[in-house]
Amino acid sequence: MSDRAPVIVFIGQPNCGKSTLFNSIAGYKAQTSNFPGTTVTHVHSEVLWNGKVYSIVDLPGTYSLSPHEPQEKVVLTHIFKEKPDLIVNVIDASLLGRSLELTLELLELEYPMVVVLNMIDLARKKGITINVEELEKKLGVPVVKTVATRGFGTDNLIATIERALKLKVRPTAPRYSREVEKRIKELMNILPEDFPVVANQRFTAIKAIEGETLAVDRFISEHNLSFKQELDRLRQEVSALRDAPAYEVISAERHHLALKIFEDCCRVARLKISAIDKLDNLIMDPVLGYFFMLVIFAGMFYLIFKVGSPLETWLLKPWEAIRLSIENNLGHSLLAELLVGLVQGIGGGLAIVFPYFIPLLFLMGFLEDAGYLARASFLLDAFMHRLGLHGKSVPMFILGFGCNVPAIMATRILESRRDRIVTALLIPFIPCAARTTIILALVAFLLGPWWALGFYFFNIFLIAILALILKKWFKYDSPGLILEIPSLKVPSLKSIWQKIYFNLKEFVRFAWPILIGGSILLSFLSYVQFDRLINAILSPLVSGLLGLPQSLGVTLIFGFLRKELSLLMMFQALGVGYGQLLSVITKTQLLTFVAFVSFFIPCLSTLSIIWKELGKKVAMMSAALNLSVAVVVSWLIRLVASLF
Amino acid sequence: MLEVPAGQIFKIAEIRGGQGLHRRLLALGFHPGDLVTLDNEAIMNGPVLVRNLTTDTRIGLGRGIAQKIMVETVTGDER
Repeated sequence: MSDRAPVIVFIGQPNCGKSTLFNSIAGYKAQTSNFPGTTVTHVHSEVLWNGKVYSIVDLPGTYSLSPHEPQEKVVLTHIFKEKPDLIVNVIDASLLGRSLELTLELLELEYPMVVVLNMIDLARKKGITINVEELEKKLGVPVVKTVATRGFGTDNLIATIERALKLKVRPTAPRYSREVEKRIKELMNILPEDFPVVANQRFTAIKAIEGETLAVDRFISEHNLSFKQELDRLRQEVSALRDAPAYEVISAERHHLALKIFEDCCRVARLKISAIDKLDNLIMDPVLGYFFMLVIFAGMFYLIFKVGSPLETWLLKPWEAIRLSIENNLGHSLLAELLVGLVQGIGGGLAIVFPYFIPLLFLMGFLEDAGYLARASFLLDAFMHRLGLHGKSVPMFILGFGCNVPAIMATRILESRRDRIVTALLIPFIPCAARTTIILALVAFLLGPWWALGFYFFNIFLIAILALILKKWFKYDSPGLILEIPSLKVPSLKSIWQKIYFNLKEFVRFAWPILIGGSILLSFLSYVQFDRLINAILSPLVSGLLGLPQSLGVTLIFGFLRKELSLLMMFQALGVGYGQLLSVITKTQLLTFVAFVSFFIPCLSTLSIIWKELGKKVAMMSAALNLSVAVVVSWLIRLVASLF
Repeated sequence: MLEVPAGQIFKIAEIRGGQGLHRRLLALGFHPGDLVTLDNEAIMNGPVLVRNLTTDTRIGLGRGIAQKIMVETVTGDER
C-alpha cells in the first residue's frame, strides 16, 4: 500500500469542466468539449507533484451512480476496481443545486473526498454567491474554488489534494429522513455475511433498496429466500413513503437534501437577462435558429476559405521555386527526382494542409466549447428523426468534420447498437478536415468557392439519402431525445488550443512523415517505373470507369492511408506543380477525382476504429458501402458533365 | 408537458414511462415537485426545451418523452 502511487479519481457530471481541470493539472491528456458525455473512456495519468508520484484518473461524466448509461457503467466498475485513495468531485458551480445530488451519492461511498467548485466565474455571472466554509461544514469535506480554463485555483487544489491524502479523513454519509433511515439501518442489520459488500455496508444497503446492482439481483435469486422477502418488504415500505418506486424515493431524498444545502450555502441574486441569454434565445428559436445555424456553418466555411486561400498561395511560392530550381539544375536524374519528392512532401504538408486544417480545427473547437453542438443537436433532432436517427447523433456528425475517428469513438454514448452502427456507417461520408482540405485546395482554389460549397452541400445531401437507405435496412425504433443543453459560454482559447494541439501533434507525428516518405517513394517508383504496374492494375477502374489519367491509380493507395495524401501524390503522379494542374486534367476529371477519393474507402485509421468499436462485419460493410457510393457518384459526375 | 403554453411556470406532478427513462430524468435533476417551464419548442414535431427552475438546468426532450412528464399549475406562493 505505501509504495503504490496514491490513486486519485476525478468524478463529475457531464460538462462540468472536469477534463479541462484534469488537463490543467495532468498535462494535455483528455479531449475536452462542451457537449455532455464526450469523455467515453477513462484517461489515466501519472503526475509528479512536489517530488511525489500520483496516479490520477479522469472518468467519463456521470449524472448518478446508477449503471444505466454506457459511460456510467465505466465509472462504477472503475470506482470499485481501483479502490481510490481520494475522490475529486468536480462540480459546475453554476449548477450547484443539481450537482450536489451526485456529491451526496459519492459521500455515501465514504472514501476521502475533495469537492471542486469549478466554473466559479460562471456562477458569479449568474448571480450565485457560494459560502465555501458553510459548504465544507455541511458536506464534511474540503471544498476548493477553481476556474479550470484559466488555471485559477489549481495550485490550491493540488495542495488540498495532498493534505486530504495525508489526513485520510473519511466523510460521513449524508443522513436522510427518519423513515428512510430506519429502513436503511434495518437492511444493514440483516445483510447476510456473504453478501457482496460494495464500498461499505450502508452504501450496499442503499443500492440494494434502489435495486441498482445486478450483483444484488443475482445474489438474491441464488441464495437466501428469506432475505429476499425482507428486502422486498423494505423496498415496498420505502416506496409507500412517497407513493413512488423505491429508487425515486431515495433519489428524491438526495434531491431535497441537495437543494437544502444549496439554499443554506448560497445566495442567488436575481439578475436581469444577460446578453448571452438573449443570444441563446435567438439561436434556439424554432424558426430563426435554423437560419442562424445555416449562417454559422456557411460563415465558417467562408472564413476558412478566406484565411486558407491567400495563405496557401503565399506558402506554395517558395516550394514551387525550389522545385523548379532543382529541375533546372539537376535535370531528371534519380537524385533530382528524390529531392523533388522531398520538397513536395514537406511543402505540401505546410502549404496545403496547414492553411485549412488549423482554421477548421479552431472554428470546430470554438463551436464545441461555446456549447453550440448541443444546440445544433436539439435543432436538428426532428430532421434526424426523419432520417432514422436522432439528435444525439448530430454532434458525432459535426465532430466528423474535424476527424472521423473521434466521431466514431463518440458513438459509444448512443444507447442502442442499431443507432451506433448506422451512425458509424454514415460518418465516413462526412468530409473530415483532410477531405475538406482536398475540396478547398483543389475545388475551391482551382474551380472557385461556389463549386466547393456546392460539393459540400451535395456531400451532405448524399449522407441524407444514404441515411434513408440505411433506415430501410435497419429497423428504426427511437428512444427519443434526452439531452442536457449546457449554458452558452465564451470558449477559452487555451482549451481550443489544446484541441488543435492534439490533432496537430497527430498530424506532425504520423501523417507528415508518411506524406514525405510517400512522396519520395513515389518519386522513386516513378523513376524505376514501378508505379506503372499499380496503375496498370487499377487502370480499368481509374481510366475505364472514371475517365481519369491512368497515372492517378497509385495515389489511391496513399489515399487509403490518409485522404490528403491522394491530393499531394496527385501532383507527384501527374508530374506538375500546383498551378499547372488544370493544364493536364480537365475540370470534370478534377471533380470526379475529388469525389472518388472522398468516398472510395474510409481511411485506414477510420476503418480500424470502426473495426475495433463495432467489429469486422461493420467495418467490411462500411468499406463496401463507401466503394459502391464512390463508384456510382463519380461515374454520375462524369455522366452529367458529358451532357453539357 | 407538451400541451402547456411556453413561458409559464408549472410543477412536475408525475413522471410516467419505463424505469430506464424515469431514472434518467431523476438523475438529470428532474423530480416531481420541481418547477419547470417550457422555453420553446422546435417546429416540425421536434423536441421541446424544458427548463427546470428549481435546479436551474435545461434539457432538450423528444416529444414522446416530454409527453410523459405530467405537470400541474402552481399556487401563488411559489414563483
